[in-house]
Amino acid sequence: MAESDYQLLDRYAAGDETAFEELIRRHQKTIYDLAYRMLENHADAADLAQKTFVQAFLHHQSFKRESSFRTWLYQIGLNLCRNAIRDRARLVHEDVHELPLADSEDIFAEVAGAELKDRLGHAIRALPTRQREALVLRVYHNHAFAEIGMIMQCSEGTAKANYHHAVDKLRRVLVAGEGAL
Amino acid sequence: MTCNEIKELTVPYLELDLEPSRVRDVTTHLEGCAGCRVEMEAVRQVLVRVKGMEVPDPGDWFWKQFPERVRQELARARPPGPVRRWKAAAGWPMALAASVLLFVGGWSLKGMLDKELVPAPPLPRAVVEAPQTRGAQPPTAVFDRPQLAEADWQEFWDEDHDTVAEMASRLDRRVVDRLFGDI
Repeated sequence: MAESDYQLLDRYAAGDETAFEELIRRHQKTIYDLAYRMLENHADAADLAQKTFVQAFLHHQSFKRESSFRTWLYQIGLNLCRNAIRDRARLVHEDVHELPLADSEDIFAEVAGAELKDRLGHAIRALPTRQREALVLRVYHNHAFAEIGMIMQCSEGTAKANYHHAVDKLRRVLVAGEGAL
Repeated sequence: MTCNEIKELTVPYLELDLEPSRVRDVTTHLEGCAGCRVEMEAVRQVLVRVKGMEVPDPGDWFWKQFPERVRQELARARPPGPVRRWKAAAGWPMALAASVLLFVGGWSLKGMLDKELVPAPPLPRAVVEAPQTRGAQPPTAVFDRPQLAEADWQEFWDEDHDTVAEMASRLDRRVVDRLFGDI
């Protein structure tokens, strides 16, 4: 039976280097995926994933084990993502509100085409950080809202609201894009 | 249920995040409302499309060396140990002390070299003035007069009159007469 993350952490604290490597191997793809979806390029995602693990191992003694090790990694990763996005925002000012929104009644059943895909990517990038975090954690990482709330350090209701706002904005942007085709 | 209420429940409905009784209510509404059906389909399409956006895999090599990269970065980021802490704390004073020692040492060395380079008896040194502009006096040789005054030319002449003659040949005639008139 595989050891739990807690057991591996205990071994790492006792100086076992194999536990260190096992913990990284277990979670590296998850954290990289999160970072890539938030930052959208390999170099930044790799750097951020690396920093996430460094921070976790540097401060592992302050981990109170009130959540899973993975949730704790998510929290560290998201905090680093927020900092990176904030730094970027100083250079580029972009907001989803600047994108043309369709009238809420202007609905089409089908959305298709490369232009719409680009538009969707652009719209996701332009989402407010918290909404984007909720979207990524829900859609790509399949977390329950209770866990999303724990990761984002907010209530379950706030996590849900962020997610719903994100989906609604994307819907309106996509519909506007289809109307333009 | 109204259309506005359905709109609020669209995402939870698609996410299967509603109680069964609410799911039945929404389904019943959708069967009779074309507008809400279209709205529901649009949101479903958004979720399908967003879900379909994939992250490129950086490859096996990246994953294989990733733990080692973390290990190296961790070693750099660790707080300094007792010895490193002492070195960090003592860094500036040590550097300052080393600079002072280096300066004093260099200064002493320079003094020693200067002493060795100065000839035992202070020989007169001739300095040729820079060429003058047209119409001015022709270049003349001048002497370091205090040193000349101290020199015992008679003694130099006796010891090495070839050198003194050579030096004199480079001087202005009037200066030679003045300096070597007695020889």
